[in-house]
Amino acid sequence: MAKAAIDPIKFEVIRNALTQAAEEMAIALRRSAYSTNVKTRQDFSCAFFDKNLRSVAQAFTQPVHLGSFVRHVPIAVQRYGPENLGPGDMILSNDPYGGGVHLNDISLIGPVYWGDELVGYTACLAHHVDVGGGAPASVGAFREVFQEGIIIPPIKLVAKGEFDDDLFRLVLAQIRSKRETAGDFRAQMASNRTGALRINEIIERYGLGEFDRYIDEIIEYTDRRTRAEVARLPKGVFSAKGFVDNDGFTNDVVKLEVKITIDDDGVRFDTTGSDLQRRAPVNSTFAQTFSACAYALRALMDKDLPVNDGFYRYVHVNAPEGTVTNCVHPAPVVGGWETHVRLNDLIFEALAPAMPDAICAGTKAMQCHSGFGGENHETGEYYCFLETIAGGYGGRSTSDGPDAVQTHGQNTENAPIEETESNYPVRITRYELVADSEGPGEFRGGLGLRRDYMFPEEATFTVLADRDKFGPRGLFGGDPGSTSVYAIIKDGEEEQRLSSKTTVQLQPGDVISYRTSGGGGYGEPFKRDPQRVLADVLQDKISVERAREHYGVEIDIDAQLVDESRTRDHRVDK
Amino acid sequence: MTGTANAQFRIGVDIGGTFTDATLVDSTTGQVTTSKVLTTSSDPATGFIQSVQKLLDLDDTVRPDAIEHVVHATTVATNAIIEGKTAKTAFVTTEGFRDMLEIARQIRPSLYDLQFEKPPPLVPRQLCFEVPERLDAKGKVVTPLDEKALAEVVERIAESGVEAVAVCLLHSYRNPDHEQRIGKAIAARLPNIIISLSSDVVPEFREYLRASTTVINSAVAPIVSTYLASITEKLHAADITSELLVMQSSGGVYPAKAASDNPVFMVESGPAAGAVAAASLGTALGFPNVISFDMGGTTAKASLIRNGQPNITKDYSVGGAAQSGTGAFGGASGYPIRTPVVDLVEIGAGGGSIAWVDSGGALRVGPHSAGADPGPVCYGLGGEEPTITDANLVLGRLDPTYFAGGEMSLDLAAAQEAIRNHCAEPLGLTTEEAAHGIIEIANTAMVNALRLVSVQRGHDPRDFLLVAFGGAGPAHAVRLAEQAGIPRVLIPLGPGTASALGLLVTDMRMEGSSTLIVRSDEIELSQISSEFERLENAGREAHHVAASASGDPIFERAIEMRYWGQSFELSVPAPARDEIDQAWMNELTESFHDAHETAYGFRANDEPVELVNLRLTTVGKIARPQMRKLESTGTDASIASKGERPVYFAETPETKGIVQTVVYDRSKLPAGAVFNGPAIIEEPDATAVIQPSWTVTVDQFGNLSIEHNS
Repeated sequence: MAKAAIDPIKFEVIRNALTQAAEEMAIALRRSAYSTNVKTRQDFSCAFFDKNLRSVAQAFTQPVHLGSFVRHVPIAVQRYGPENLGPGDMILSNDPYGGGVHLNDISLIGPVYWGDELVGYTACLAHHVDVGGGAPASVGAFREVFQEGIIIPPIKLVAKGEFDDDLFRLVLAQIRSKRETAGDFRAQMASNRTGALRINEIIERYGLGEFDRYIDEIIEYTDRRTRAEVARLPKGVFSAKGFVDNDGFTNDVVKLEVKITIDDDGVRFDTTGSDLQRRAPVNSTFAQTFSACAYALRALMDKDLPVNDGFYRYVHVNAPEGTVTNCVHPAPVVGGWETHVRLNDLIFEALAPAMPDAICAGTKAMQCHSGFGGENHETGEYYCFLETIAGGYGGRSTSDGPDAVQTHGQNTENAPIEETESNYPVRITRYELVADSEGPGEFRGGLGLRRDYMFPEEATFTVLADRDKFGPRGLFGGDPGSTSVYAIIKDGEEEQRLSSKTTVQLQPGDVISYRTSGGGGYGEPFKRDPQRVLADVLQDKISVERAREHYGVEIDIDAQLVDESRTRDHRVDK
Repeated sequence: MTGTANAQFRIGVDIGGTFTDATLVDSTTGQVTTSKVLTTSSDPATGFIQSVQKLLDLDDTVRPDAIEHVVHATTVATNAIIEGKTAKTAFVTTEGFRDMLEIARQIRPSLYDLQFEKPPPLVPRQLCFEVPERLDAKGKVVTPLDEKALAEVVERIAESGVEAVAVCLLHSYRNPDHEQRIGKAIAARLPNIIISLSSDVVPEFREYLRASTTVINSAVAPIVSTYLASITEKLHAADITSELLVMQSSGGVYPAKAASDNPVFMVESGPAAGAVAAASLGTALGFPNVISFDMGGTTAKASLIRNGQPNITKDYSVGGAAQSGTGAFGGASGYPIRTPVVDLVEIGAGGGSIAWVDSGGALRVGPHSAGADPGPVCYGLGGEEPTITDANLVLGRLDPTYFAGGEMSLDLAAAQEAIRNHCAEPLGLTTEEAAHGIIEIANTAMVNALRLVSVQRGHDPRDFLLVAFGGAGPAHAVRLAEQAGIPRVLIPLGPGTASALGLLVTDMRMEGSSTLIVRSDEIELSQISSEFERLENAGREAHHVAASASGDPIFERAIEMRYWGQSFELSVPAPARDEIDQAWMNELTESFHDAHETAYGFRANDEPVELVNLRLTTVGKIARPQMRKLESTGTDASIASKGERPVYFAETPETKGIVQTVVYDRSKLPAGAVFNGPAIIEEPDATAVIQPSWTVTVDQFGNLSIEHNS
């Protein structure tokens, strides 16, 4: 019998209604959550999977999660056994060695039933501000995953719509910021429920048969478009090598290597040659490396391509076991995203000669966590806070890298200062662009960002970041961006540098200062339009001296003009 | 009976990119009179008064002193932002934070686009100034305001030659003292400058959103206040001294003085009018679910109305890309404002949109518009590039001798020549084929806008009625509905000015709020009563300024609440009890738990509840005009026939495009008339094009109800 034709309007309606269901999951999560990291910074993701555990629709929040989620959710459900999940049940999981990522990213997954028939799964992942372990906010340099916090294999936290009190108390007992975390778990439950309701509405309208048939078509549609996009990529073998600057215990760089092969069989990513895993927080799980490759491939495709299983099936990754790109138990994983995002910079660097107009020069390319906690003297509660700080973007073939933005798979917002100070005992004393931090180029990198925290009470503070040795790389003659600075300032004393992966005890009045890297430049700086250099100088983004030395442009600051003849002299000398 | 013998008439004026429309309603009879003039882009106030004067000339029984009020919708603020023509503005903030606007939320507007750009800040870095001072999160002074440093900043502001200043200090929503002192210092040195304090404009926490809203307020205030003053002056010169009201982005109206002080509330004034008109019409006719489609000379706007109410959002960005998605607080592609806005999608496709062939040999339409000046080629006002209106003329959809009811004749030969030279010949097409291509390309973009508000929000367009208006809406609506899968279209009487009618079917609404941020178990109940009383007094005073609008004001009290620890509030109506006592609080808390359960599927009875904002809306009820029934009835449409003319419809290939099509005079169509497409229906301010396979029924009020034959 011939297959019934696909009604193009019904197709679009169902496709968009599914995406809308995922978006509403995200809204419910954000609006009912408690921690700043979830409710404001949007460090979470939501998605709908079909009954065969294929990714169908996702909310546009954090690409890093979305790419890893598609591996974690099927593995978690398979391990628990789909037959053990009934209506209203939900499983909780964060096991890095069960398809997960770092422990803070906890997924809650619930089956969706239409009557007594399983029709799919809603799942949401939130970065919890604390999961126990050796330091507040559960970021820090440790030797084994056991020190990093609570490891949760798939467990049924919600049974028939109600929290299992025993399990819930057991989980919360491991966690410092109990009130916030409990609120965030309730928000995750609200998110899955909202998704299930919307899915039921769609089925009610179109019937289960049509629902399933159109899900197949939605995935096939993405498959067709992805195949066409892949065919358009330049063929060849492209590779790059780079580093994570240190591992938190030794000062040795962590070597990364990536090779991308594009041919008639599609695109293959290979991280062979990357360092063996460390007893240090720089190890990526396979899901994280997969996510980096998925992000890179997606960024090279048509902007309106919907991402689902039909896309992910084109992401082929070979990451040798036991390396920092596919670590094995019991390696610590909390800084795995640092490695993940650096791989993204390397992938684009590798592809630069073949696709010079599609990519960007080196970016901040680190998560750059700032985590702290302690007793809040006012409320008597143990609080934890976590955020990540933006930096410079890399220059592009026709435009400068934007200043102070998140990069690659990371797109979390800043924590509003007023919200932060209302809820946590900290004062942000400075939040500004770092002048002269850009990587010079014909199109310069973006500026890095400075954020200073003053602590009126004792606290424990963790830096989990990178880029303190090497700035983001330039391309085609562009120079690197600045290195990052992490420092502590004690009252009346000189500033002291901190390592990019360290935990310190703070006394009242201590200040921690972050100054993140600027992005790498694109093209030779002496080719930069002097008027663009002037505009940067007039905005105090770069200094008169830097304009002269790095761009060969002489600015007459009183007249607010380019000194054309001296500029010619500087540039000839070069 | 509403209104008095002295204040019998109300006027609405809606200025679009191409036309300025005015509507007069007689409150006693519901009689509606309309006028239309070309928008005077260089000085829109001139077109405004021309349209009003034209109304008064049409009916000499209307005395200027019998006008109760004039309501206005304008795009002057949003145009200034989109075109980068806002006033030169300075930004003053707490020391250490001058990059607040530039850093924004540190996110990228699109996730997978390596070539993205951040929107440039409305205030360049060299005009952002810092003042040493600091409050803590409770509003307590940590660092006193440094008066000496302030004096220096004021001098630098004076030297910079700015027209406006926005002030946003950390935690000023808790304690406005430092902002107020800065405001006074600037005003003392620069008495003619406009100053917006964030603690006045939107006293809500989260500094970037408050700063962005405040900066937009000050950057458009010089433009808006000059503009409204000019209109007021012209109205006075015409002996109209009644109150000038302005439509807000949320669909309510407020007095011109309030609009001059707080223009950020009317940034999307123009589009809101159309949505309100469509909602009102849909409700009156028994269609609570409507997609509003308003196509004028410059842009087309779509919005979704459910249960008779336009969607209102506070997560809005001015100049943001049209997109669906949950980018927190409206995405990162424009400038966020934290004021209520009708949720709509606007695209650059209107009758004046210019068609052109790009370097790759593709036919393109827009985003450039010929606007009103020079306008389409066929207007004969100097336009040389072909537009959508020219294409409609070439296809026979418009009558060259009956444009604007015959007040203006169109130059068909010039339109044909322009399309031939600019589009047909470069592409190797016939002139008609090129003209049809122009229409179809523009339609594709408009169908996308309809889909953004419906399908992409998960609503099936088949469940909705498309209400089409604006001067160009009726010519495109039926074909759009066909492509978007909407089975039913309604074209109101006088579609060209329907949006202006929206101005006369809304109440006066003024919002007041007071920030508490206190837990329900720690609050002083007397504080709630005294704050509500203070807000009511302010609301009553503002209401009396516009006293002629209606009788006594109605107050709507609501409390924005959340669980202690959350950041997003749910608005809960205040319990209807005389006294604010513990029973009141218990009832309020219970309502909040209920609302939370409805919204998110769970309640947390043991969690502390926080009262964040008290909100008071002062409503001045304004009587609605009555729709008048048509006098003539009958099923026979032929009495309205003006004859036939050839019209190009590529939708029917068997006729090779040209179809002999009956042309109807809308004013002669009786209630109850039924006829089939293809058809053309002409009235003075718009021409409706009915595709084959659609049937038109004229309802008792003269609206065209058009249904697909399926």
